[in-house]
Amino acid sequence: MKERETVIEVKDLKVNIKIDDGVLTAVRGVDFCIYKGETLGLVGESGCGKSLTSKAILGINTNNCTASGEIIFDTTAGGKKDLLKLNPRGKEIRDIRGKQISMIFQEPMVAFSPMYTIGSQINECTRLHITKDKGKSKELSLAMMKKVGIANAEKRYDQYPHEFSGGMLQRALIAMALVCNPKMLIADEPTTALDVTIQAQILELMQELQKEMGMAILFITHDLGTVAKMCERVAVMYLGKIVEVATADELYANPRHPYTKGLMGSVHKIGAKKTERLFSIEGTVPLALNLPPGCGFYERCHERIEGVCNVREPELTDIGGGKLEHQISCFACMNPSCEEKKEDPVHG
Amino acid sequence: MWKYISKRLLIAIPTIILISFAIFFIIQLPEGDYISSYISRMTSEGERFTEADIQALRAQYGLDKPWYAQYFVWMVNIVTKGDFGYSFAYSRPVWSVIMDRLPLTIIVSLTIMIFTYAVSIPIGIYSALHQYSVGDYIFTAIGFLGMAIPNFLLAIILMYTSFKWTGDPLIGLFSTDMLQNGIHFYNIGEFLKHMIIPTIVIGTSGTCKVIRTVRAQMLDESVKQYTLTARAKGVSERVITYKYCLRAALNPVVSGLASSLSSIFSGSTISAIVMNLAIQGPVLYDALKVQDMYLAGTILLVQAILIIIGTLISDIVLAALDPRIRLAERGA
Amino acid sequence: MALFKKKEKNNEDYYLASQWTLMGRKLVKHRLARISMFILGFLYISALFANFIAPYNLTAYDSKYMNLQPTKVHMFHEGNFEGPFVYGIDVERDAKTKQKIYVENDEVYKVQFFVKGSEYKLLGLFKTDRHLFGVEEGGKIFLFGADSMGRDLFSRMFLGSQISLTIPFVGASISFILGLLLGGISGYFGGMVDNVIQRVIEVLSSLPTIPLWMALSAAIPANISVVKVYLYITIILSFISWTGLARVVRGKFISLRNEDFVMAAKLAGVTDFKIILKHLVPGFLGYLIVNVTLEIPSMIIGETSMSFLGLGIRSPATSWGVLLEETKTITSIATYPWRLIPLFAVILTVLAFNFLGDGLRDAADPYK
Repeated sequence: MKERETVIEVKDLKVNIKIDDGVLTAVRGVDFCIYKGETLGLVGESGCGKSLTSKAILGINTNNCTASGEIIFDTTAGGKKDLLKLNPRGKEIRDIRGKQISMIFQEPMVAFSPMYTIGSQINECTRLHITKDKGKSKELSLAMMKKVGIANAEKRYDQYPHEFSGGMLQRALIAMALVCNPKMLIADEPTTALDVTIQAQILELMQELQKEMGMAILFITHDLGTVAKMCERVAVMYLGKIVEVATADELYANPRHPYTKGLMGSVHKIGAKKTERLFSIEGTVPLALNLPPGCGFYERCHERIEGVCNVREPELTDIGGGKLEHQISCFACMNPSCEEKKEDPVHG
Repeated sequence: MWKYISKRLLIAIPTIILISFAIFFIIQLPEGDYISSYISRMTSEGERFTEADIQALRAQYGLDKPWYAQYFVWMVNIVTKGDFGYSFAYSRPVWSVIMDRLPLTIIVSLTIMIFTYAVSIPIGIYSALHQYSVGDYIFTAIGFLGMAIPNFLLAIILMYTSFKWTGDPLIGLFSTDMLQNGIHFYNIGEFLKHMIIPTIVIGTSGTCKVIRTVRAQMLDESVKQYTLTARAKGVSERVITYKYCLRAALNPVVSGLASSLSSIFSGSTISAIVMNLAIQGPVLYDALKVQDMYLAGTILLVQAILIIIGTLISDIVLAALDPRIRLAERGA
Repeated sequence: MALFKKKEKNNEDYYLASQWTLMGRKLVKHRLARISMFILGFLYISALFANFIAPYNLTAYDSKYMNLQPTKVHMFHEGNFEGPFVYGIDVERDAKTKQKIYVENDEVYKVQFFVKGSEYKLLGLFKTDRHLFGVEEGGKIFLFGADSMGRDLFSRMFLGSQISLTIPFVGASISFILGLLLGGISGYFGGMVDNVIQRVIEVLSSLPTIPLWMALSAAIPANISVVKVYLYITIILSFISWTGLARVVRGKFISLRNEDFVMAAKLAGVTDFKIILKHLVPGFLGYLIVNVTLEIPSMIIGETSMSFLGLGIRSPATSWGVLLEETKTITSIATYPWRLIPLFAVILTVLAFNFLGDGLRDAADPYK
């Protein structure tokens, strides 16, 4: 069922960062789309460019970053718009932020300003986007706080961030993001800073809310476990490019890109022998400055083809038999014979 | 909140007592006392004193007792009678000498403080928002220069410049006919004109410090996570700067209120000597030179108390500004 | 700049460099800090060799030439190139104001280098009488003019720099040690000790600095040696400024002493003192150094102010503050503007230390 409506389409997104030693192309051409109501996972190591990509959508990267490409978003009133063409300080993009596309962040403890109450900060969102009426907007904020499971919401409304626990703050952050009923939520590692039990609660909360409110979610993480729980489709990112996109089931069953295979291999599995060492991909992620030509994963890849992989850069190509359900960006693993050759990274 | 304030006031009292003790000890450190410097001055003019004379003089002024006894007497008098002692040089009670100049000292200090903050906070914000721009560099350079030139020299240079340009060196705080005909409200213009140089001279180093602090703090705050959250909510840049960043950035500025007052007292002391301003500075200087100890001691004590009051005020403002501090105090 | 060749930065090299190497590299990149380091280096070296550089020593005076304007060094005499020389000076009286004015005549006195002059001890060790430059017998070379007693300002400036540049340094060092010690003890042990030290700090900071310095300086006895005066002044200056540093150190200690690595060290049996020295201090040493560097300018101004008021250095020693005392009145500047020259030395030094401190602070900040 191919003709699903997309909420957002990212085409050839590049983000350049100006640093002392030159220009760092941190995001080197990223393509993906998110369908209405679905959760797309964006997975990758720290520094691969996930955050920059997500922030580029809202135009909130720092001043030394420049983005190019296209980000086509289906706005509520104005039809499809390229977000990158909007002035990052202008009224149009501010109208979209918080109202049509919202974002929640990794560390809830520092995401709120310590000077103002939680209630007033959530309220700021409703007053900006929904109504200027103080009473009505407070009602909306309180309702949302209750919906995300903050007990004693009336009392909590007037409390300050430092009086909340981490899990509570993340709920408040979610409340603030969803209070205006956006079409899309960007969740940038929302549970990384929380302990495991709270993590589970927050993830469940997000799933419930999605079912109820119908928004799409771009779920960014480096934790393969949460991806399995939350996402329908997953995009794997390495060194500023997407190297594999598939449905979650496909990805876990048949990872095709050497990097993905390495990632899967490094996750500890229930039932593995106690004495087995965890697999780790050798080498470290290179700096995205003065990269040699060819595939970014070349140095660390077990299946690289000399003369091919270090000369041209591979493009995202469909390998799922034309159904766009599984795409990888690789020369070596295009054909199914790659699967037989599949070296078991742990035992091979 | 009131508990906090009353607790601080209570602690302030022993602090003040300690301070008065320290001050008195320091004042009487120089060898000899008022009598000895008086005698040496009179002797150089040809007067002669006998041992008995000297003893009598000392007894008359209570200077024959050991210094801790003198301190005790002084303290008791202050607390019970509000009597701050006797000024040998002026032959008047210390309090009347001080009251001659205290109101003016406070007015001048407050004016300079208001000027300092009113000028430096906006400049600091501007510098932070336009980092590395031409304006930023210019302000930074002026700031550095202001801090590097000792204020008494700045005073002289400015007086000289004003003299060359306008023929009026603006010495003192009041023009000559103000002094003759009394001071009235319509003289405020004159007063402010004369305040220009002292304000620049005394206020500059404080201004520069505040500008640098505000600039650094604004830069720090503007990259904090909560600004990102606010931006992602759709809040405009202006609101982010003034509502969020500024409030957090003011924290160290407010903390520095008391030290700013202290530096104003400091700077004004020397500048007043050079510029002949009718405030405390020159009086203190002369009192120290002739060991007019009750006068010198009281001036220092008054300044210290004003600074402690300033500290208290700044702590209160800080608690009002930053809810985390309020909570810490409540819990403490 | 061949000393700072840009090495090929290997990734690994960068990751493994120690904290100090990283700081050093960053500091050198900061242009203003580099310039400041050179300027300060120049100033301190010339202070070290001041006796050599100055043509006249501290006690030389000639009342014939009081308030002489700066001597002009000429190259050409009546059209012929003679090498650097000065003219002799005649004293005349202005017809209208009856003031003394100085006029050049035609006696030529050549400027010589490595001349014999008054005797002194180079670096305090070697007796010698050679000076960098001077003029032939009979001539006077007052490059920055003379003061009201006919003393050469140029010489006195360089000789005065020995005091004006070292007192703040020594004072700042004492402040540093006191602040580190007392702040550390206060922060680490807490409780009663902390309370007492905090009260002391409060008392000291409630007193405005300059009045306090004035009071303390007035207490310096009248007839003691120059060295003792120097010591007293240094102690007076550091007397208050250690409080600022102590507060900062205490704050850092309080926030760090509850960290897990301190607990770990304690459990491993490390003594308290060693914990302080080896584990806590290196963490914020950079920040402390910055603080101390920024204390120095205020001490320079402090010493200058005290000497200006006549409460600091006394003759025959001299410092920039003493030299500036002569500029107390407008008429003085109007008539003898060269007396302001030491002011530029003060400004230059203060600015240099400020920029250096800023550069150090930027270099020490790991997040930039």
